[in-house]
Amino acid sequence: MRRPAWRWHDLRVVVLGLAFAAAWAGIGVRIYQVQAVDAARFAQRGFDQRVRHEVIPAPRGTIYARDGVELAISVAGADLVADPSIVDDAEEVASLLDPLLELDAAEIVERLEGDGRYARLARGLEPDAVEELEALIDGRELLGLTLVPRAVRVYPSGPLAAQVVGLTRLDTGAGIEGLEASLDDVLAGQDGRRIVERDPGGRVIPQGRLLVDPAVPGADVVTTLDRRIQYAAEQAISAAVERTGANWGTVVVLDPDTGEVLAMASAPGFDPNDRDALDPDAVVNRAVAEVYEPGSTLKVVTIAAALEEGLVAPSTELEVPQRIVIEPKEYTDPSDHPSTMTVAEIVERSSNVGTILVQRMLGNERHYRYLDAFGLGRRAAIDFPGERSGHLEHVSAWCRSTCGPSAAIGYGVSVTPLQMAALYATIANDGEWVEPHVVAEIVEADGRRIVTEPRRRRVLAPETARLLRSMLERVVEGGTGTRARVEGFTVAGKTGTTEKYLPDEQTYSTEDRIASFVGMAPAGDPEIVVAVVLDSPKGVLEDGTELKYGGASAAPVFAEVALAVLNDLGIPPDRPGVDGDG
Amino acid sequence: MALVADRVPILQRERPLRPDLLLVLPYLVLSGLGLLMIYSASAPRLAALGLPPDRDLKRQAIAVVLGFVVFAVVSAIDLRTVRTWVPTLYVGSVVLLVVVITPLGEEVKGAQRWIQIGAFQFQPSELAKVAIVLALASLLSAAGPGPLRWQRTLRAVALVGLPALLIFVQPDLGTMLVFGFVGLVMLFVAGATWRQLAFLAVTAVVGAAALLRSGRIREYQITRLTAFLDPSSDPLGAAYNQFQSEIAIGSGGFFGRGLFNGTQTNLRFVPEQATDFIFTAVGEQLGFVGSAFVLVLYGIVLWRLLVFAANARDRFSRLVSVGVAALIGFHVVVNVAMTIRLAPVTGLPLPFMSAGGTVFLALSAALGLAHSAWLRRSPVPGEGVD
Repeated sequence: MRRPAWRWHDLRVVVLGLAFAAAWAGIGVRIYQVQAVDAARFAQRGFDQRVRHEVIPAPRGTIYARDGVELAISVAGADLVADPSIVDDAEEVASLLDPLLELDAAEIVERLEGDGRYARLARGLEPDAVEELEALIDGRELLGLTLVPRAVRVYPSGPLAAQVVGLTRLDTGAGIEGLEASLDDVLAGQDGRRIVERDPGGRVIPQGRLLVDPAVPGADVVTTLDRRIQYAAEQAISAAVERTGANWGTVVVLDPDTGEVLAMASAPGFDPNDRDALDPDAVVNRAVAEVYEPGSTLKVVTIAAALEEGLVAPSTELEVPQRIVIEPKEYTDPSDHPSTMTVAEIVERSSNVGTILVQRMLGNERHYRYLDAFGLGRRAAIDFPGERSGHLEHVSAWCRSTCGPSAAIGYGVSVTPLQMAALYATIANDGEWVEPHVVAEIVEADGRRIVTEPRRRRVLAPETARLLRSMLERVVEGGTGTRARVEGFTVAGKTGTTEKYLPDEQTYSTEDRIASFVGMAPAGDPEIVVAVVLDSPKGVLEDGTELKYGGASAAPVFAEVALAVLNDLGIPPDRPGVDGDG
Repeated sequence: MALVADRVPILQRERPLRPDLLLVLPYLVLSGLGLLMIYSASAPRLAALGLPPDRDLKRQAIAVVLGFVVFAVVSAIDLRTVRTWVPTLYVGSVVLLVVVITPLGEEVKGAQRWIQIGAFQFQPSELAKVAIVLALASLLSAAGPGPLRWQRTLRAVALVGLPALLIFVQPDLGTMLVFGFVGLVMLFVAGATWRQLAFLAVTAVVGAAALLRSGRIREYQITRLTAFLDPSSDPLGAAYNQFQSEIAIGSGGFFGRGLFNGTQTNLRFVPEQATDFIFTAVGEQLGFVGSAFVLVLYGIVLWRLLVFAANARDRFSRLVSVGVAALIGFHVVVNVAMTIRLAPVTGLPLPFMSAGGTVFLALSAALGLAHSAWLRRSPVPGEGVD
């Protein structure tokens, strides 16, 4: 009775043993399959999930003023992102973030209580803020928040030269305005790449560095801009726009000998560090992006050509009627003048009829040749985004009747403020046109310096330029440009007032004028050329002069800027005590 | 001395208690290897968190040393003495299982499994595993020889059912499966009839189906199952663990990537790698050679436990040995199968290797019970069962 019972039990233990043996065999086979047969495939899969192809962003180059001070620089900033599903107490997080971010607490709470697993709280945070946030995150006070490092573009000089320097995209960092855009290739450098193995926490596995192709940092750009002159120009043009209610205004300051742009200011301006408040109109670099009919300021080309061609001399007398009819138009001189005037007087009084008479002596062909030689109708090679070429019809397309006379007094031709500055700089530079430029040099990451020599072109004989300067000096001494006088210096220049062309209505405004003044100082051997343009200035001066005239609104801006620049450059006064200087 | 001994009849002679090295050595080696693997799997993560990298190692080392002591002490106790404690141990376990689902228990990852006493935490369900083996052995060995009666079988079911129900509340499906398997094996060896076993099997299947449909099961437990059946359904969610585990083990290849060179486990691609997925660390770092070595050691342990059962002095000792074999064997199979995608994720630890103090102590005690049975075995193999 007992023995069979034991065997019976033993059998069941043996069955149990066999069952375990079967399970062991099954597992063994599977492990052999995974670790021996398919091992390579699994190893590859493991490798695939560790390996990362990554871009090493190239640091963007710095944009400098001519004195080496940074106008635009990239710093190590970050974006602040959150995983709302991890954030426990949105209110508390918001109260911690409120003083650090520009968002208000309510907006932060709203974003943190969203449904998704991703919410961006701030973009392009600067190092100071990043440091504070890092401390909070490390201290585990901001669970669910992460800083995503990225290069952030900052503009240490704020609004200074903002339209020239331009802007970059907040997300990709690519240049979209100004030099940031036109020199994007140069500034951006070349991103590197890296193939590394990373653990799930994102840390690089030390043995797993497979390939590193380092980034080539972007080149630095040194501009020709002089910060103090730029500042003075911005102050003056902002004040003028404010004072006159103009739509916009711009000032260009050139060194006539070198073509260097010392200042290029447009109002209204903007602060590139405050992107939320950005007004698209304020970003426009008016000095190159606006075209206007130059009016009287272009008369100097007519006169210069006639002088150069030997048709007239400053003292040549002409019969100048008050009006002249050239079908289908009638040209008049707004103010009365003697019936006989010298060429110099025609310039001084800015006589339309007199200039047209000179143009008729010159003829369209020769007239066009000089307009072309002065660089009109072609972009000055700054190559800004939105830079315009202006408009100069080829002479073969000119109408027989009024095209020449109109061009003589600055109509039917359109220019940018920079083109006009370069034109007057030719006169200042003894007749040699120098390409205006804003980039002094490009410094590559390896220290190589690239300096592009500006193109130069002789347009007038030095003597012709000198004669023109002395005629233009009389404009300021006793003609239409007296408000451009600068204490202690001789000034040569020309006013311009043109009816504003309204492209939408294809007609000229009866109210609005483009008021301008282009001049140079000292008149004998000019060190600077300043062009001032205001769109639709309004109002009346104490003596009854309407501000819509260039002589009333633009000339004083010239005087203000020129004085600052001459003082800044340390140019000795060439006209001591004439105005009763103390 | 020798002369005196010769005169004592062989059946009455007190043999010296000589430990079974074939059981003890694999147990020691697995525990030591477990410590090494836990260190390799936890150090980088702890270091990354700024914590001492050997924190988990130290914790486990304390449990291992205590476990060795428990094993030795339990081995020294005669199972007849242990049998007198069974009612107390069973009731005590049930009480602790009740306590753990009250607010006194700690919730971890959605399950109430822990009781905190001072600086120490323990899992009553691990102790219950041992208590159930003892309680079943006690109940079933009280039966006469020959086939079990229905009444006793049903009492055994009730005995397992009560703690199983309490564990279902936590919830901890893996441990419920352990209870079910251990109960079934012990009933089988104790002499349940085929009809009883068939009835139990059908009841278990129907019960499981009812459970799945009842809605009382948490969603993650169902997704784990469906993810196992169709891994592509959720490769980054429920199936992620197993995908990563399989990749890591496969990456180990035949000879392994070397200790501390397992990029997948050391670098935390594999979750829970020091606890449930410790076998993954073995597979990646030590390769097929290491995996096979570990499996062979467990095989030896099981073989010894079944030998202990076959040579037991009495039915209680036999059933304890079988119960311990079922307990440890089931853990090993389910855990290892999980890491190589042969079974769904159940959260059962790998005996003596997974990080975890309670389970190490409990299984050491269980091993000690079976060892005790061997030390006091029948002098004639197959004899002595009353």
